[in-house]
Amino acid sequence: MFIKQLEKIQLSLGIIFLSIFFIAVLVQVVTRYLGISVIWTEEVANYSFIWAVFMGAAVMVNRKDHFNFDYLSKKLKGKAKQSLSIVTDSILLVFCSGLFIYSLTALTSFWNYNWVSLPMIKMGYVWLSLPVMSITMVIYLFAHIVTSVKKIAAGEGNE
Amino acid sequence: MGIILIALFLILMFIGVPIAFVIGIVALLGIINVPYIPEVTVPVKMLNGLDSFVLLAVPLFILAANLMNSGQISQKLINFSLSIVGHIRGGLAHANILVSMIFAGVSGASQADTAGVGKILIPNMKKQGYDTETAVSVTAASSTIGVIIPPSIPMIIFAGLTNASVGALFLAGIIPGILVGLGMMILIYVYSIKRGYPKYERTSLKKFSKLFLDTLPALFTPIILIGGIISGIFTATEAAAFASLYTLLVSMFYYKTLKLKDIPKILVDTLTLSSLSLFALAAASALGELLSYYQLATWAQEFFTNNIDSRWVFILIIIAFFLFVGTFMDAIPAMILFIPVVLPVALMYEVSPVLLGLITIMTLAIGLITPPYGLCLLLAAKIGDLSIEKSFKAVLPFIAVIIAVLLFVAFFPDVAFYIPKLLSPGLF
Amino acid sequence: GGGQETGTGQGGSADSLKIIAAHNQTSPDNPYHDGLLKFEEVAESNSDGAIEVEVHAGTLGTEESELVEKLKLGAADVVLVSPGFMSATGIKEVDLFALPYLFESYEHWETVVDGEVGDELATIINEKSNNDFKVLGYWTAGVRHYYGKKPLESIDDLKGMTIRTQTSGVVADYWKQAGAIPTSVAWGELYQALQQNVVDSAENAYPYYIQQNHHKTKNGIYTTETAHDYTTRLLLVNGKKFDSLSDEQKEVLLAAAEASVEAERQSLYEQEEEYKQQAIEDGAQINEIDRTPFIDIATPLNEKAAQNMGIEDLLQKINELK
Ligand code: NA
Ligand code: NA
Repeated sequence: MFIKQLEKIQLSLGIIFLSIFFIAVLVQVVTRYLGISVIWTEEVANYSFIWAVFMGAAVMVNRKDHFNFDYLSKKLKGKAKQSLSIVTDSILLVFCSGLFIYSLTALTSFWNYNWVSLPMIKMGYVWLSLPVMSITMVIYLFAHIVTSVKKIAAGEGNE
Repeated sequence: MGIILIALFLILMFIGVPIAFVIGIVALLGIINVPYIPEVTVPVKMLNGLDSFVLLAVPLFILAANLMNSGQISQKLINFSLSIVGHIRGGLAHANILVSMIFAGVSGASQADTAGVGKILIPNMKKQGYDTETAVSVTAASSTIGVIIPPSIPMIIFAGLTNASVGALFLAGIIPGILVGLGMMILIYVYSIKRGYPKYERTSLKKFSKLFLDTLPALFTPIILIGGIISGIFTATEAAAFASLYTLLVSMFYYKTLKLKDIPKILVDTLTLSSLSLFALAAASALGELLSYYQLATWAQEFFTNNIDSRWVFILIIIAFFLFVGTFMDAIPAMILFIPVVLPVALMYEVSPVLLGLITIMTLAIGLITPPYGLCLLLAAKIGDLSIEKSFKAVLPFIAVIIAVLLFVAFFPDVAFYIPKLLSPGLF
Repeated sequence: GGGQETGTGQGGSADSLKIIAAHNQTSPDNPYHDGLLKFEEVAESNSDGAIEVEVHAGTLGTEESELVEKLKLGAADVVLVSPGFMSATGIKEVDLFALPYLFESYEHWETVVDGEVGDELATIINEKSNNDFKVLGYWTAGVRHYYGKKPLESIDDLKGMTIRTQTSGVVADYWKQAGAIPTSVAWGELYQALQQNVVDSAENAYPYYIQQNHHKTKNGIYTTETAHDYTTRLLLVNGKKFDSLSDEQKEVLLAAAEASVEAERQSLYEQEEEYKQQAIEDGAQINEIDRTPFIDIATPLNEKAAQNMGIEDLLQKINELK
């Protein structure tokens, strides 16, 4: 249930950022035609886009929708199939954990840098997207692994 | 080390780790192995890889295509296409190709075309007696035109990478895109005569005019879009935003085929679909950093200088290489990884960035319909309920058409460049 | 990986040290590349090969902001950046060197950056970045001129002209007050924009826009030597890494930096002549203009900017060196 809630929140966050970015691009076109120079649109658009992409990417980890080759998985059945998915999920889990730790370094290094167009806004709010993405990926993957283990234990790997 | 990383890449891919993550994992392990690149480079590069105004066009073009599909504009375009080519033998298949060419003028991606048009046309073609192979293959193959005829997401990315002009690249794609479409129509015509596919009655002028007027607002989109980008009124990103807004307004208020309650689902579809390719792009940026550390570009330059003294051989190698890469990788990460390596060599052989871009993008478009990672083929096969093997076999003649046009363009670039050269002579 | 701690060689000159030096220009005949190659040559010969320098030219799409990040993270040891990208790290004083008509000639520019003002700015950068960045020297990317669809005979000719330049900050304010309309066009799109009348004019240094054939477009034929910006580029080293080196190693790197400064400027000055000559051969029309009215617009803007940055004293010193 928690996972479902988390995905829902994350997806909504992604949609909000997608909408902000869409509006920022439109504002840019319109204001340029009116001859008003609004200099923040590009940065607002770029940074909300980054947030949107990273949130979407994490949601797709939970939905197992990132594109992969399923030849091997299709050939296997039951326990073997579940074990394979535990293996691949664990590889992803290790990678995402590493990504989380390194993105904390990035976050702290660049926290105090500022936006070019809006110098009072910190770059930290942008870099924050990375640890948020990677930690949620870690959570989703962990949940997947638990589910697979449970399936094997219950002997219902035979779908 | 290089060999180990390549082996790792293949193993991870084989056991089913998602491609985007395979790219990221290989990047991280490679970087751990190089003492002079700190590991934090991986997330830093992922974020920086996305921090580019041109990339914003990706979700925007996908949004425009999703709006067209949901707003039933696709259906209108199909009816309109049928009124033009329906009377030829194999009319529905011809319309399938023509509608993809029109769709291409709005959409920068190809999958949305396969999904939108395929859902309507594949069942219809089956009903009319076309064999499933033809229905699936013509749908998948013709949707590759989406990235050749402007606007085109891969072209935007290529231009961003090389500083080539998006406008010139767009202009250069028009004639090759039309040639691919015509070539496929010829192929379909031959099939239709052989297999006796049905045709429609010729549409009366009165009916055509009515259809034309009804479709006109939708047809405006490509004209405004391409015209706006080429004349410099819009950047590609702005044009994509405008296309989305225009499609939204037309389908909500003119055609009244789109309801406010449809919007959230469209946004979710747009976000999820675009974040897949963009996350792969982010990971590819990290791997690109590793490749640039190994100074692959210099290596490639030396290799070609010492071993190959023919421009044609170089072009053929490029085509073969991207044909291979395109089978298991999206066009966007493939370009992020390899264009920096290839471009300096291309310049050495006096292959202009625009020509290189056109060749690369047409080649990578073939990757959309080759297994294992041919998204358009997978999608069409799924809609048509046909096995990947059979679908691939059926799509091969169409691939031959694209390759024929590709080689023609590569060796007689003046044909493709007729339009752009007219407008910006100094770029070639 | 290993990052920050790699190759620091604390023990003295016997230890080997590897330095990654990076710039963002892709063309190998760019002055940046010449400068860093000189840096490599001197560092390696003065250390008898104990110090190894690897020069990384820009790959496509290398952003200067990334170079700054790499320097901070230890992914590069020596980088080259323009003032604009430094100010995003929170050091707004660097923008001083990007003000229009701050310098009146290369002689003036050299006196300023190689003298007391250059030193003071270097100290500010070092302190404000918490020793992440240490300035090793000042390079230049040339002097920027106006080029457009008509020659400027007087400042009034700028009235109503769109110009591709920065659209925010003092530079944008300057062009606005001069009567022009600052417009944003991506560098890769500028050729077409000039050719198809999307923008009336632009501004840059000879080597950059002549290479791109902008002078062959309809709206790029006329160059007026406004010389509004003798550009400054900063050769930076990671301060913490530098401090960890032995005295001998420091000495070698400082000498290498000095030689690179000389080499880069020399290369740039030569290229500027070369490309100007090429432009003339290609049929570009070049004229000079009385700069006084332009300078009169820039002066109060610059004073206000320096006041906002709290470095009026530096501006005053720069003016005194004229
Ligand atoms: Na297109
Ligand atoms: Na089609």
